[in-house]
Amino acid sequence: MYVAATITQKPEGATTYQAHRTAEAVEARELTGSQILCEALVREGVQFLYGYPGGAIMPFYDALTSYPTLHHILVRHEQAAAHAADGYARATGKVGVCVATSGPGATNLVTGLATAYMDSTPIVAITGQVARPFIGRDAFQETDILGVTQPITKHNFLVQRVEDLADIVHEAFKLARGGRPGPVVIDVPKDVQFNTTQYRASAPVSSIERFRATRAPHPSAEAVARAAKLINDAQRPLIMSGHGVILANAYEELYAFAEKTNIPVITTLLGLSAFPETHPLALGMPGMHGPAHVNRAIGESDLIIGIGLRFDDRVTGKVSEFAPHARFIHIDIDPSEMHKVKRAAVPIVADAKEALARLVEGVEQGEHSTWIDEVRGWEAENNERSASIERNQEYPDPICILEAIRAETKDEAIIVTDVGQHQMWTARHYTWTRPNSHITSGGLGTMGFALPAAMGVKMGIPDAIVWAVAGDGGIQMNIQELATLRQEGITVKVAIMNNGYLGMVRQWQHFFHNGNYSETPISGPDYVKLAEAYGLTGVRVTKREDVEAAVQKAMDTEGTVIVEFVIESEANVYPMVAPGSAITNMIEESPTHE
Amino acid sequence: MNDQSQSGGASPAPTVEPASTGLTVERSGQADAPPGTDQAHTIVVLAYDRHGALDRIIGVLRRRRARMQAFAVGRNEFPGMVRITVVMNDSEVGVDQLVEQLRKIVDVQHVENLTAEQMVARELALIKVNSNESQNSNEIIELAHHFGAHIVDVTQQTLTLEVTGSEEKVEKFVDSLQGFGIREVARTGRVAMMRG
Repeated sequence: MYVAATITQKPEGATTYQAHRTAEAVEARELTGSQILCEALVREGVQFLYGYPGGAIMPFYDALTSYPTLHHILVRHEQAAAHAADGYARATGKVGVCVATSGPGATNLVTGLATAYMDSTPIVAITGQVARPFIGRDAFQETDILGVTQPITKHNFLVQRVEDLADIVHEAFKLARGGRPGPVVIDVPKDVQFNTTQYRASAPVSSIERFRATRAPHPSAEAVARAAKLINDAQRPLIMSGHGVILANAYEELYAFAEKTNIPVITTLLGLSAFPETHPLALGMPGMHGPAHVNRAIGESDLIIGIGLRFDDRVTGKVSEFAPHARFIHIDIDPSEMHKVKRAAVPIVADAKEALARLVEGVEQGEHSTWIDEVRGWEAENNERSASIERNQEYPDPICILEAIRAETKDEAIIVTDVGQHQMWTARHYTWTRPNSHITSGGLGTMGFALPAAMGVKMGIPDAIVWAVAGDGGIQMNIQELATLRQEGITVKVAIMNNGYLGMVRQWQHFFHNGNYSETPISGPDYVKLAEAYGLTGVRVTKREDVEAAVQKAMDTEGTVIVEFVIESEANVYPMVAPGSAITNMIEESPTHE
Repeated sequence: MNDQSQSGGASPAPTVEPASTGLTVERSGQADAPPGTDQAHTIVVLAYDRHGALDRIIGVLRRRRARMQAFAVGRNEFPGMVRITVVMNDSEVGVDQLVEQLRKIVDVQHVENLTAEQMVARELALIKVNSNESQNSNEIIELAHHFGAHIVDVTQQTLTLEVTGSEEKVEKFVDSLQGFGIREVARTGRVAMMRG
């Protein structure tokens, strides 16, 4: 629903923010900007705000205590506020909210906003700003946060008048979650927070000019028919499913589509858990660390049906050699993704859920057993070779750690990973079955994401068991949030795969920089003592045989528990595709590589 | 960049989509734009004149490292809106994606990629020349008349002329004034619209 006014009818100077005001005559109250901000957040159904107070946002924090349904979580660093809001959004599909003051508070949000922008997750960030008369005059704690965040947000607002505030908040939420989701910043000058105006609880406006940014276009019948023909005719088709399937909640449609066509399903890093990996059609993850048979299948495929993914360079490797024999059907809600990397024979600009539903109707029952057998044959070869490699049995092994977590949580946990080797091991070896159970920073690759994001995930889905899996490098980037978890009584189980290195960088140094381990050896605190210092429980595991007991202990202990697994220090993630190289050209694990 | 750009022959005219749909279904060309396919494009952007709107548009151009030749901002027939004409070099495919990226900006209401055949395009220039000798003044006035230029300011030392037309015409006019001594040239950059 949007206000059906044409542009020409718009009176000069008037903004559309007021357009709906007459529509609903609700009793008006004189409120401050801060109160209006709270009222609007309540109307948007906001439960949690992750934030940190400071000078320019103090009027808002003053009003906040009068709104008990708005539960504010005091983080220990604003970056964590943005990641927690992001984790909440990824887990629930609802808009996550974070709050910071002007200047350093706002700039500390930047990494979190960029993370959400790259992975298309809906968050609204509210930042204080210096009072209007001081803007642009280098006032204390003044940063041009609109300028700073402009390239990493879907949209951002500077609230110039208190009269616009309520509608801007509703617009911001609509923009954040509509169309291709993304982060939106609302910058509120301190004097606007103090100013008062008549407030009526009004229906969220949806103005005509915001329409494009929030809509989900319908797939055209013609495009669906052409796609169906390609699918029916394909001999070696593959489905590549991305984050869009999860964002669109299109699990059932993807399942139905795969089952009807019998086309194997590849899931990108952010698409993991959209399709159960126990299903006979599930292949796994493509790209730089994808298993060899998946990349080989892409190399041999004659049709790629890409759904809600953007053919990122970690997926494609060298673009000109990516799926060289394939034609592409590309379904994405964002028209600017079409033909960006690979030319699509049939581009379908639509929400994944609707497009898949229409495709399920449009396609014929398919049969691809020869093709699937061929791919499974390659998989068996890889597995055989992998099994023949002699491994260190002494240390806790990443795969057995993940298996223990999966077994101990009866496959019901939500796993939030950080960035690096452990992230790839988890993505590859966790056997995802529960929809949306895998949460990670994919596009931006933000170290320090896991712990605060897991906090947001746990608060969004309080019944879920949430495990944060991180390396010893990444965990130290936002480790201060242990205090937040403790203060709020939030239970997150934390697994640290400690190899004493920034492992993924070390791995690249090993392969591409002649083993020159420049600045990658890293030490850390005694995690058991650290956990205790924060009032939490810590466990250290140094032997393979103790892994299961430790995971069990973590599950049986109330509250947040940190389990440090001391893993083999120089283990690599295999296979690996060198950056810029074709994905079919993989570095395979061999006994000589260790 | 490869300099075969201008000799690429007549590439098929890009389809300009109707404003009402705003959605692309099919476009010509490869996503991995082959070298030497770049050419000058004229893009018209209609945007709401709001805080940060221009920043966002320029931000997309900057991020894509678009090689801009002209960027003109002004009002159009709608109150509260601005009309921006950008002239830039890009490949056909690159520019198509740029158009879609510009469409994603919340403040942007409409984007058109105009081709030479479809558009009328003009620019305006102010040129300040030395005219300290009366003989010079007469010559300059005659020349201005020939180009359809107007004299907008006269001092004892200078004449300021206003000329409108294609970039080529403006350049020619500027060239022919070189002999008198040009003090200052201000060009607006191209503004354009679709024919008909």
